[in-house]
Amino acid sequence: MATLKVSNLTKNFGNTQVLKQINLEVIDGEFIVLLGPSGCGKSTLLNIIAGLETVDDGEILIDEYVVNRVEPKDRNIAMVFQSYALYPAMTVRDNVIFGLKQRKVSKEHIEKSLKHFSQMLQIDQLLDRKPAQLSGGQRQRVAMGRALVREPHIFLFDEPLSNLDAKLRVEMRHEINKLHEQLGTTMIYVTHDQVEAMSLATRIAVMNEGIIQQIGTPQEIYEKPNSVFVADFIGSPAINLIQGTFYKDGTAPSFIPEQQKDNFKISLSGYSFDSEPKDGQEIIFGFRPEHINLPDASLKSQLPVELKPSLIELTGYEKEVSFEFYGNEITGRLPRHVNTELGKSISLSLDLSEISIFDSASTMRI
Amino acid sequence: MQTLDIQKMENIERSASRKRTFYRWLLFIMLGIFALYYLAPLYVMIITSLKSMEEIRQGNLMTLPGEIIFDSWKTAWSGRDYDAGNVFLRPFFWNSIKMVVPAVAISAFFGALNGYALTKWRFRGDNLVFLLFLFGCFIPYQAILLPMARTLGVLGISNSITGLVVVHSIYGLSFTTLFFRNYYVSIPDEMIKAARIDGAGFFKIFFKVLLPISAPIIVVTVIWQFTNIWNDFLFGSTFSFGEAAPIQVALNNMVLTSTSVKEYNVDMAAAFIAGIPTLLVYVLAGKYFIRGLTAGSVKG
Repeated sequence: MATLKVSNLTKNFGNTQVLKQINLEVIDGEFIVLLGPSGCGKSTLLNIIAGLETVDDGEILIDEYVVNRVEPKDRNIAMVFQSYALYPAMTVRDNVIFGLKQRKVSKEHIEKSLKHFSQMLQIDQLLDRKPAQLSGGQRQRVAMGRALVREPHIFLFDEPLSNLDAKLRVEMRHEINKLHEQLGTTMIYVTHDQVEAMSLATRIAVMNEGIIQQIGTPQEIYEKPNSVFVADFIGSPAINLIQGTFYKDGTAPSFIPEQQKDNFKISLSGYSFDSEPKDGQEIIFGFRPEHINLPDASLKSQLPVELKPSLIELTGYEKEVSFEFYGNEITGRLPRHVNTELGKSISLSLDLSEISIFDSASTMRI
Repeated sequence: MQTLDIQKMENIERSASRKRTFYRWLLFIMLGIFALYYLAPLYVMIITSLKSMEEIRQGNLMTLPGEIIFDSWKTAWSGRDYDAGNVFLRPFFWNSIKMVVPAVAISAFFGALNGYALTKWRFRGDNLVFLLFLFGCFIPYQAILLPMARTLGVLGISNSITGLVVVHSIYGLSFTTLFFRNYYVSIPDEMIKAARIDGAGFFKIFFKVLLPISAPIIVVTVIWQFTNIWNDFLFGSTFSFGEAAPIQVALNNMVLTSTSVKEYNVDMAAAFIAGIPTLLVYVLAGKYFIRGLTAGSVKG
């Protein structure tokens, strides 16, 4: 019912091209998260979808209808902002129903939706207060209430949780998640926080420098990043990336790290290449910290390694340990009860079933 | 060892607090001196206005009146029954009110609207437009006298209160635009975006969202405009005469055209009456003035 299509969208601010030929299709009921570092154009894209910014080239379609020249109020959308953007002079009640009043909705209907949604968001006790008398979390709820009562076809969120403290952020994240489940409305959510993105999205669009680098389910993005940028941006601690060359001995492909010694190589026979590189091609070998672990017999393909910890950080549930690995510093996530000591080598294994290989020149997955 | 250290700390603290009290007192004394310096003319004005002419002629400028007489205030305000030709302030006071109120209201309203349009509805060349407004603040009064006189003549409103309202509204617009623009720049754009999505248009957003939170800057603008327009002499004396003159022009006429004797007590009373409205505005709205001037730097 509420679909969104962005085709070949381009936007310039002066001489800087902030969005370059963006294509995005959102189907009804999806929760799309636009994720990227600051300045990647994600907020601009959201503003354009809302109709708050003009388009230089390309089209925006909501429900199969080109809305390039349609005013924000007629696009059937609602938006929640980072700064909440509540109207300071109005009470919570007036803030929430302002949009309905502009639309000349009947009094009974206004009262009914106000009651329904203020109870749902637990702001029904606050209706007569001014925004200045509310806490950050309460303001956030009111901002959501203002968006909800309009019963829009598409919800837009512009970093709505960035101004909250860590604990409240997790709470509100859960609520947004529940809300999406309850309402089933299409939602588009901008954030630079990968945890928010991973936990909320049905699909994530990772953006950088005005381009959507990859779009896919959180799992796809995490397990099969299509470029070094995506691999590096998603995941904390960051993915381990090692430069080296591709080597093919008969039919057995393998990876040789740049600073190897003693003919060390890692077998890549378990990796399914999209397009197999040539012998001697420069490639980047990537694996996530959790794939350095204690040897586990149940794993299909693993590489035993002897590593010396150079830094140990206990994060609570587990340990993040840095090791020296053929001239690179790599990070592993080990269970907290594993005995680690600085400089004292331990036997670990590198899980080869979930590695990623990138071409050095193009930095794309191969 | 430890007790020695504690003693040392106590000594340092004591001498620091002594120093603080000393500077505190120095500050108060300086402030007191300046306050006296600035208030002295006001004091002379008030006591002179309450003296009789005889006492003024023989007495010292600073001595308190022997007998307090309010006659000169009455004379300044409503004249004497027996000499009909004399100038007195009452009609001109109302002239000024009729000029100031609409001129302040119009210039403040359009200044607010300009500031809003310049910050929240950005358009190509908006900065140039703002620069031109800024330039308007630096145009000296004298430079616009002739063109303005011609304009008022063409419009058929020279020598009228309406003419003065027009002059002051236009001249004040640069300043009011500057004030409101700087205030609205600090208000997050997201609030306007939210209102647009909610379905409010240009004027709806202005009246319902922005204006209700503009009180501090409205106070600043009103004080500024009121004081300037009320105290203006040049435009008043150039574009009006006789019955249409504002109070400052009448005050000048009254003081300069008194026939035989200089009546200092009446002059002082008249000058004070002419200054009362601006004083009142400051007293009533002054505390918002400072708040409004600094409001731009503090995020709401």
